[in-house]
Amino acid sequence: MEGQKTVLIVEDDNFLRGLSAGKLSDEGYKVSTATNGEEAIKVATEEKPMIILLDLLLPNIDGFTALESIRKVEGLEKTPVIVFSNLGEEKDITRAKGLGATEFMIKSNFTLDELVEKIKSIIG
Amino acid sequence: MDEKNIPDTIEGLRKENEELRRLNSTKSEWISIAAHQLRTSLSAIKWILKMFLDGDFGKLSSEQEGFMKKAYENNDRMVLLVNEMLSLNHTEDSSITYTMRKEEIVSLIDETVFDFHGESFKKGIEMIFLKPEENEIFINCDKEKIRVVLQNLIENSIKYSNKGDRVFIGLEKKGSEIELSIKDTGIGIPKEEQPKIFEKFYRATNAKEKEEVGSGLGLYTIKQIIERHKGKIWFESESGKGTAFYFTIPLLD
Repeated sequence: MEGQKTVLIVEDDNFLRGLSAGKLSDEGYKVSTATNGEEAIKVATEEKPMIILLDLLLPNIDGFTALESIRKVEGLEKTPVIVFSNLGEEKDITRAKGLGATEFMIKSNFTLDELVEKIKSIIG
Repeated sequence: MDEKNIPDTIEGLRKENEELRRLNSTKSEWISIAAHQLRTSLSAIKWILKMFLDGDFGKLSSEQEGFMKKAYENNDRMVLLVNEMLSLNHTEDSSITYTMRKEEIVSLIDETVFDFHGESFKKGIEMIFLKPEENEIFINCDKEKIRVVLQNLIENSIKYSNKGDRVFIGLEKKGSEIELSIKDTGIGIPKEEQPKIFEKFYRATNAKEKEEVGSGLGLYTIKQIIERHKGKIWFESESGKGTAFYFTIPLLD
């Protein structure tokens, strides 16, 4: 669909990825997914999504490193990135924000509806 | 003890101390890994239960909905417990250094009180910050840790108060310290339970009756934080009449 808003979900847990992708599709977003940091950089570079949902604990390249790389890609310097992770200590939040994360959300503290609200508040 | 053995004893103690530090750090690491792993499952459960409650899988009977709500609340209780375990793990770990900086406390209290306005309004509780004469008071502290202390105490005062009750937050300079007070006219702490309330996992009987959700880690955690700031924390309370918590932090020299 033309004009559809695009989201990239980076999440290694199959079940959580499926649930969040399903929810965002139902909300009318065009969803791409990646299961590790390397794939996240690749998909983000190719597809230039409007917003990225990024887990931090990922196989091979972790979310921090992926975020650092994504910020260096032309056209992705300002793409909103919501870190959506199980981590959430002060040091993790500071590090992610320092690398250019727009928001930091601890997965278990939010419902998918609240996640959708957050995405809407950023890209509509 | 034979004098010539003293160096051996000191060396022995040093080694033992090192070993204990190592074990403590391993413990913290394990708690951290376990808690972070638990969050994946807790998220999955939370999201699915919410979908059931929202009727995504069809309309629920009122009995089914009641049970689903109970499951959802209990899952949230585990989420809270994991959050507080992690926060405590972080606070207790003596190897973690606090970021001590010169901070202005009046505005920090103002900000924190403001954050709770919505919640207190919803419950019909009035929150009043009795500001000191000075607009700015500086202390040496880890701002985020002190914010946790304020959040915990204010949250408790709202949680354990009833509609129409009032919460007073006070700040005074006393000698070389600041003294902060958070006074409520809520349910209070029964006298016989008062000696236990700073214990890990302890929750007063009337607190459990009023609020099912709670880990019993909040007061323990904030006591650790205040003590790391070389301050003191104490309270006065009467069952049915209210509670006043006080803590001190040294002023910036």
